[in-house]
Amino acid sequence: MKDLLEEKIKQLKPEDLKKALQVFREKLNQESAAYLNSCVHCGLCADSCHYYLTHKDVQSLPAYKLSLANGIFKKYFSFVGKNIPGWVGAKEFNQAMVREWIDSLFGRCTLCGRCSLNCSMGLNIHYLIRTARSALAAIDFVPPGLQSTVDTALEKGNNMGIAKEDWIETVEWLEEELQEEVSDKQAVLPMDKKGARLFYTVNPREPMFFPLSILAVGKIFYAAGESWTFSSDNYDVTNYGYYSGDDDAARTMSDRLVQSMKKLGCKTLVLAECGHGLNANRWEAPEWLSKKYDFEVKSILEIVADYIRQGRIKLDPSLNPNPVTLHDPCNLVRLGGIVEEQRYILKHAVAQFSEMYPNRQKNFCCGGGGGQLAMTRFSQRRLKAGQIKADQIRKTEAKVVATPCHNCIDQLLELNKHYKLGVEVKTICEIAANALIIDKS
Amino acid sequence: MLSLLRFGVISSFLFSIISLSILALKTFSFGKKPLYAEPRGDAKKGVIYAFGRGMLPWEKESSSKHLPTYVSGMLYHAGIFAALFYLISLIFSLEQSKLFIPILRFLFFLGFLGGFTLLFKRIFLPTMRKISCPDDFAANIIVDLFLIFAFFHTYLVRATPLFFLLAIVLFLYIPVGKIRHCAFFFYARILFGLFYGRRGVLPPKKHKI
Repeated sequence: MKDLLEEKIKQLKPEDLKKALQVFREKLNQESAAYLNSCVHCGLCADSCHYYLTHKDVQSLPAYKLSLANGIFKKYFSFVGKNIPGWVGAKEFNQAMVREWIDSLFGRCTLCGRCSLNCSMGLNIHYLIRTARSALAAIDFVPPGLQSTVDTALEKGNNMGIAKEDWIETVEWLEEELQEEVSDKQAVLPMDKKGARLFYTVNPREPMFFPLSILAVGKIFYAAGESWTFSSDNYDVTNYGYYSGDDDAARTMSDRLVQSMKKLGCKTLVLAECGHGLNANRWEAPEWLSKKYDFEVKSILEIVADYIRQGRIKLDPSLNPNPVTLHDPCNLVRLGGIVEEQRYILKHAVAQFSEMYPNRQKNFCCGGGGGQLAMTRFSQRRLKAGQIKADQIRKTEAKVVATPCHNCIDQLLELNKHYKLGVEVKTICEIAANALIIDKS
Repeated sequence: MLSLLRFGVISSFLFSIISLSILALKTFSFGKKPLYAEPRGDAKKGVIYAFGRGMLPWEKESSSKHLPTYVSGMLYHAGIFAALFYLISLIFSLEQSKLFIPILRFLFFLGFLGGFTLLFKRIFLPTMRKISCPDDFAANIIVDLFLIFAFFHTYLVRATPLFFLLAIVLFLYIPVGKIRHCAFFFYARILFGLFYGRRGVLPPKKHKI
């Protein structure tokens, strides 16, 4: 089969390379320039990367991946690199380098940030890799699967291309399910309710493949007596522009949620269980849009943890008797700062909880981030890179893996099958909803 | 001769400072990334962590899993700071306490050992070789020589011209290659602390909510 990306590389023109370099330069700021001047090639980041640990090839080493971007920085934007390139590892930006950037920066990195946290200098390596991805995105060199996910989101309003009427019908069907489950004909899943306190976003994979996770959140909101709403359009929490490095696309996607907030007049934008959705919309979007938000942005985990703390919902852990472990999504925990909320919820919702090691900020990536699930050309590598996570899960002897991220769920489901783990994979809200004690009064 | 070399050391040091300042200005000319997202944690606490607890070997896998390399690196840098202190005292003809010399000598030796260990690793580990460029080797060798000459100088005062000459080479080389990290390290650690502190990721909270 013809490799379209390879064909495109062969047809690269000097003006394309120039454009990529120009974008690379535009995306650099003083922070990234300082990082690029600081790498000492100590190689100590090796053991922090799940790709390097499972593949053991130098191309997977974070310092090597960084050197690909750093070599270009030195060659084109530093005095020494321009004049004695070979001495300091400065490299030419040409077809071979574009090929290597795609293979290493897209194909061997999930932007999980574990190398950044472990860097002896403190360099934000994953941020620099994303900057290099931006240069590739500018000349249309994002691997096809990832690019088509971005394109679908831009064209259809959500990354699964769900039509508005299908979304509304799904919610109506789920509303009936909710009414049946809580035995209350008044229970609703509100759509476009103006002035509600919370606007709840969803990952489009939920209406498409995991509708029960939407039902779970609806049940929790019902039990808490919350004032909340869905939006009939612009509800997608995901942002694959973050992964592809396309800031314009990322800006458009995040702005849609801002527009929904304005239209609905809600107080808090609540992000569904989606790791990169939280990082993109909570941390990066205000930067992309160059403005401070006049509303709060919270993860659903913060909301549910607050309900438990305030006594707005009651949970019975005996309703979840199987041993549960927790996978920390990198974007939510290591890059997003939501570390303890999921644990607090699980400790109230399950009978047996055990941590995998390492955990929290130091947890290993499952391998599903960075747009890897959308890039089928790298799927074998992705599965191999997930071996560390599979081993972590197996050691806990848990029967259920909880994780607040749908990308992670997809990867964990594949790892479950591939490594024969024999576990169930659930969201935190699914587990919490299952433990809910509904007060009929 | 010695006065000329002394002048050379001071001049090369100034060259190094000016070049690093230009480099820093060039770095700052890239422009600061404006931050609009509402902080979740305390950026200042993040910075304190970055320079305090965050430097301890058990805080990072990169050091806890590579303790010999971590120790080598720490000794190397301790030796370098000691040698620079020793150089300043020689340049300005400051009297050294006789008790102090053996301590410095010991630090120079340990520093050299640390540096040599890192060089050895870079030469003989295939992965390290693959991520290294000539500058990585040159920078290490120059600093190792600087340390070993500082060590010998504590026994042999006649070695002063050679020690000064190496100091000149070192100062001239700093802005060229990776030793420039001496200027960027502190800024990079501040950025590290700001990033993770602001996001509420670091310092790690006690395990309760």
